[in-house]
Amino acid sequence: MATVMAATTAERAVLEEEFRWLLHDEVHAVLRQLQDILKEASLRFTLPGSGTEGPTKQENFILGSCGTDQVKGVLTLQGDALSQADVNLKTPRNNQLLHFAFREDKQWKLQQIQDARNHVSQAIYLLTNRDESYQFRTGAEVLKLMDAVMLQLTRARNRLTTPATLTLPEIAASGLTRMFAPALPSDLLVNVYINLNKLCLTVYQLHALQPNSSKNFRPSGGAVLHSPGAMFEWGTQRLEVSHVHKVECVIPWLNDALVFFTVSLQLCQQLKDKISVFSSYWSYRPF
Amino acid sequence: MRAFLQAVALWGKKAPSHSITAIMITDDQQMIVTGSQEGQLCLWNLSSELKISAKELLFGHSAAVTCLARARDFSKQPFVVSAAENGEMCVWNVTNGQCVEKATLPYRHSAICYYHCSFRMTGEGWLLCCGEYQDILIIDAKSLVIIHTFTSSQSPDWINCMCIVHSMRIQEDSLLVVSVAGELKVWDLSSSINSIQEKKDVYEKESKFLNCLNCQTIRFCTYTERLLLVVFSKCWKVYDYCDFSLLWTEVSGSRQLFAGGEVLAAHRIIIWTEDGHSYIYQLLNSGLSKSIYPADGRVLKETIYPHLLCSTSGQENKSLPFVMGYMNERKEPFYKVLFSGEVSGRITLWHIPDVPVSKFDGSPREIPITATWTLQDNFDKHHSMSQSIIDHFSGLKDGTGTAVVTSSEYVPSHDKLICGCEDGTIFITQALNAAKAGLLEGNSLLKGSLPHKVLKGHHHSVTSLLYPHGLSSKLDQSWLISGDQNSWVILWDIFTEGILHKFFLQAGPVTSLLMSPENFKLRSNQVICCVCSDHSVALLHLEGRRCLLSARKHLFPVRMIKWHPVENFLIVGCADDSVYIWEIETGTLERHETGERARTILNCCDDSQLLKPESVLPVASETHRHKIVEQRCSSSYQLGPIPCPGLQVESSCKVADTKSFSGPFNVLPVKTKWSNIGFHILLFDLENLVELLLPTPICDVDPSSSFYGSEILRRAKSTVEKKTLTLKRNKTACGPLSVEAQAQPVSESPAQGDNTIKLSEENDGIKRQKKIKSSKKMQPKQSRKVDANLTIDTAKLLLSCLLPWGVDKELDNLCIKHLNILKLQGPVSLGLASNEDHFSLMLPGWDLCNAEVKKDYSKVNLFSRKVLDLSSKYTSTLPNQAGMPRGLENNSDSLQESNMIVYLLSKLFLVNKLVNMPLELACGIDSSFKVESVHNKMKSPGNDISNISSFYGYLRNGKSESHLPEADVSLLKLISCWRDQYVQVLVFLERCLTLGPFLISYQEEAKVTEAIQAVLLAEVQQHMKTLRKTPVNSEAVSLAENGDYEMMQILPRMEWAKEPELQCITDTLPLKTPVSPVKHDSNSNSANFQDTEDMPDRCVLEESESPGERRHHLWIAKVCSCKLC
Repeated sequence: MATVMAATTAERAVLEEEFRWLLHDEVHAVLRQLQDILKEASLRFTLPGSGTEGPTKQENFILGSCGTDQVKGVLTLQGDALSQADVNLKTPRNNQLLHFAFREDKQWKLQQIQDARNHVSQAIYLLTNRDESYQFRTGAEVLKLMDAVMLQLTRARNRLTTPATLTLPEIAASGLTRMFAPALPSDLLVNVYINLNKLCLTVYQLHALQPNSSKNFRPSGGAVLHSPGAMFEWGTQRLEVSHVHKVECVIPWLNDALVFFTVSLQLCQQLKDKISVFSSYWSYRPF
Repeated sequence: MRAFLQAVALWGKKAPSHSITAIMITDDQQMIVTGSQEGQLCLWNLSSELKISAKELLFGHSAAVTCLARARDFSKQPFVVSAAENGEMCVWNVTNGQCVEKATLPYRHSAICYYHCSFRMTGEGWLLCCGEYQDILIIDAKSLVIIHTFTSSQSPDWINCMCIVHSMRIQEDSLLVVSVAGELKVWDLSSSINSIQEKKDVYEKESKFLNCLNCQTIRFCTYTERLLLVVFSKCWKVYDYCDFSLLWTEVSGSRQLFAGGEVLAAHRIIIWTEDGHSYIYQLLNSGLSKSIYPADGRVLKETIYPHLLCSTSGQENKSLPFVMGYMNERKEPFYKVLFSGEVSGRITLWHIPDVPVSKFDGSPREIPITATWTLQDNFDKHHSMSQSIIDHFSGLKDGTGTAVVTSSEYVPSHDKLICGCEDGTIFITQALNAAKAGLLEGNSLLKGSLPHKVLKGHHHSVTSLLYPHGLSSKLDQSWLISGDQNSWVILWDIFTEGILHKFFLQAGPVTSLLMSPENFKLRSNQVICCVCSDHSVALLHLEGRRCLLSARKHLFPVRMIKWHPVENFLIVGCADDSVYIWEIETGTLERHETGERARTILNCCDDSQLLKPESVLPVASETHRHKIVEQRCSSSYQLGPIPCPGLQVESSCKVADTKSFSGPFNVLPVKTKWSNIGFHILLFDLENLVELLLPTPICDVDPSSSFYGSEILRRAKSTVEKKTLTLKRNKTACGPLSVEAQAQPVSESPAQGDNTIKLSEENDGIKRQKKIKSSKKMQPKQSRKVDANLTIDTAKLLLSCLLPWGVDKELDNLCIKHLNILKLQGPVSLGLASNEDHFSLMLPGWDLCNAEVKKDYSKVNLFSRKVLDLSSKYTSTLPNQAGMPRGLENNSDSLQESNMIVYLLSKLFLVNKLVNMPLELACGIDSSFKVESVHNKMKSPGNDISNISSFYGYLRNGKSESHLPEADVSLLKLISCWRDQYVQVLVFLERCLTLGPFLISYQEEAKVTEAIQAVLLAEVQQHMKTLRKTPVNSEAVSLAENGDYEMMQILPRMEWAKEPELQCITDTLPLKTPVSPVKHDSNSNSANFQDTEDMPDRCVLEESESPGERRHHLWIAKVCSCKLC
């Protein structure tokens, strides 16, 4: 019982001193660390205009799957945009080799990367001007800042870890299909997205359903990866996916970025935890 | 349904935290609107002398507000749109605090611009939005539906800021935006309206890379139609709008970050920084610059350079970041105002002179702060209004300050409010009395002796409370569980005030206590789950008095707890989207998953979900708050006695179901994020109150008469009756106990008696409780019985809160005497719900916001001047209306009192209905659908109802009302629970048709609360007028003093009063037939009415006992004859 007695005034004084140290010193140390990590992360995304000279460098990724080699792709990533793409497809039916590439004048923005990059820079912006010269007055202030930063970081991470679930008509309507020269044959659909640290390319082969076929038509919903047999209506035609080819390639810097996100999220949470230890003090008085 | 909830806020001494994230001044310069990180909006009154005072807090968003903008032409409709971090958008009517439209889109906006082009556009205009998505979204300002987008052909990216340029010179509106990457883009606005409406893609007309990041503001100088001001965080630049050539760059000197800017006049700009400073510059034209010779051979450009004229700075004690804005009004009564809002919740205004000049020596002049204000200032200034619910007795304890409530819980079945305080004590008190003591005048007697219990056992602030019986009726009624800052959890017996067991969790502060759902049982008992702020979760077995599991591996705050009933797994979802699965029996971590798989697991067991409440959990609190509001509006009873948690979620749609669980009064504790300061909202369910007041007499009828019972069995069709039936049956089944219950209130002096009886009951020990438990079914009914007294008290408190005291001194006194209600201490903070989860609460000091009322301090609680107008309008619509209570003059005063209360409440209820209907209709396309659903719901009394509805249809058709179906439905429902007062309903319906002018003037700008108060005032005036004429005898006063005692006797008597009334319908209706065929119709309908059919039997039964019958007969006749003339 004696152990749970209310803290004596001396104890309180020590606690208050500790909390003051936390607000005045420790918070800034953590924030500096956090800023460093986020800077590193944002460097991975090669922000245009942030001191980088010349055009952002191009990286080539060779996409393949371990099983079959029916689809091979070479995608060129320039910052957050796909600047070139070469896709080779061996059709399973007649072993015919198809090749298509991006038109020279076109670029395809990978919105996931762009969004993640923007979220990171928002987080960095939130932390600017919060160095030693800035005095945090209450714990709540730190918590609010951390919450805002964590929200941005969580969104950045989620943007990479959760690719958009698209319906087949949405894929068909997307601008990506119109990027190729020669134009994609009407029985092919292409989708590119990021899943975690991987750049993924899916190629759907389609065949038209006979209008009077006995198969009952059921349009499929949204999915990251549609499976063979998924049906949809496009224009006047009813189509069915006959083959799905998915190839992927790890983007090393995305992997780094994800690690940075996780580390900085943990850092934020730890700081929040430290603050809330003293929650009985910060709520009423500023320091 | 929720519209019948009247809410009164008891704020306490501390203002809720309001960290301003967005701020704007309305176009009429009479109001400041702020949005906060906590998700609330605050409306501040801005007087013509630039004095600020907080008026209203708007609840509705469950995440931080990101931006505010006007949503209509403000002179026509005072609408403001707000957007939140989680994609919610709301359009608010800022004069009355109602939410007009809401939507949740998967987009987070950071800025919104309203655009309307009257001659090319139909509808209410567009909201142009930008934020964390590519390009510009165009959202319909009325319906909040996405119309289309402005797309960029080149490097699409997020847009940081935008502005609309109305250029007189080229007669074209353009949209200027700057993207995150620093790309300036221009879209044609007015000429692309058609293509947008046809959903064609509209691409940018021009774009230019500005080579600077973090753009904050872009502004066009309308005075010169040439200059473009672009403010980045590190510098600001001036461009030539004609060719976007750079004219000047000013880099921030120190470490200040620019946050925005505005053009004041031709060549004069104001720039403000994130830390609350602002600078006014004169842009001096240097003519053709000799120093810059463009290398690319273009023509020589003139350059400009800025000269600092004035500056402003905020107060020293500041918290970053500031959000600022500038309002440029050239019209006379308006000011040029620079305004800022801080995270700390402070608003500061600077009045910018029309012609800012520097000092004589050329150094910049400092412009002083004109006004500054915070929410807390309001609370300090009007502390009489900022009463907390337990102030009056917590003060007794230590004498010095009042305790800070850190957690609270309301137990509706006992009307008990349990408050845990910062110093570790727990108060238990009767909520209604506590509320009365806090709100009403002359209650000092009550204040001193207010019965309350103090539980002492915690040494640190009590952080969470749980009353398990409220969640599962199987658990012991006496148990209360509390958790504190120091990780102790105590199991109390609230009746003996003893500690049953203390658990020490050895973890952080206990942030919330949850109970496992009914379908989850461990050794045939439910378990308690404690979530601590160190992210650990502990399971407690109450019966076994032991800790089952303590799960400590979580790295992030716990968001979600789920139970796997079959395999005894505890599934913990954390804030980082990871999932931990614990085996409860062995206490081992079974699995830990992240990402996609974690999501799948959480989705799998959707059935038994408990969302984690508040404070430490950032986003969970969002959902939780959402919940709160939902409960509040559905029928406010989640905290209460809904046994199955599954029901809670759907409760909002199934009002009919939940109604049976609910009572007329509830206390809702509310907390804002990042703070442990909370406040309480008292909720009065008007509908329920009226319902309870009306049928109670009928169900009080002698339970012995089996004949009567079987009679009822036949008639039991409506839900209301079903309820009363079961009630009665139970009563007859267990006679002695119900007698005890009935006798109880009679013998009691308000609450204390209640307490002691309960106590003695409970003191008999657990055995006795077990017995009670076994006869479970009757338990709630018993408490419902006690309600009778409570109901009247609740009704009185509600009337006290609504009456405009001080309008007429004499009237006040009459009310006090005849209604036996008490005057308010000060104005109350009334709440107003606009839909399921949007409501507004007045803040202390709101009454001084109305300029007209300001001088008049004697008028307590008058909502606005409008009330008086409205009430006189209303009075004029009841020309020769002889109201019901007037006939009761001869009766004893107390009977009249209760009748009067019932009468007034039912009036309020009806007005509320009527007044709400057109609004609903305005935004309800699905009204016909609603009608159907309601009809289905009311299948049981189908025949009668449809008859009435057709009758009513005739009535209304004459007036060719457009919103007929809506009106029908709600009134039908009313009628169904009001059969007994058929005549009265008819009378009222008829009058409603003549209420046109009243309703119209209401719709223009007034609030529901104002309408209600107006009607109340008018009605009270009407009826008190008659009383004023007859001198009040002293006897009556003494009777009134004994009111509570009287009440119990009145209730049965009231019932006699009602029965003959029904008979009267049959008697008097034929009289009316010559008047109109419509009424004839109604007559034949009422013949089908089962009630009426039954009448003869019942009357035989009662005639012998009812002395008052003849009289009532007379006055009913009077009513009807009145209608004849």
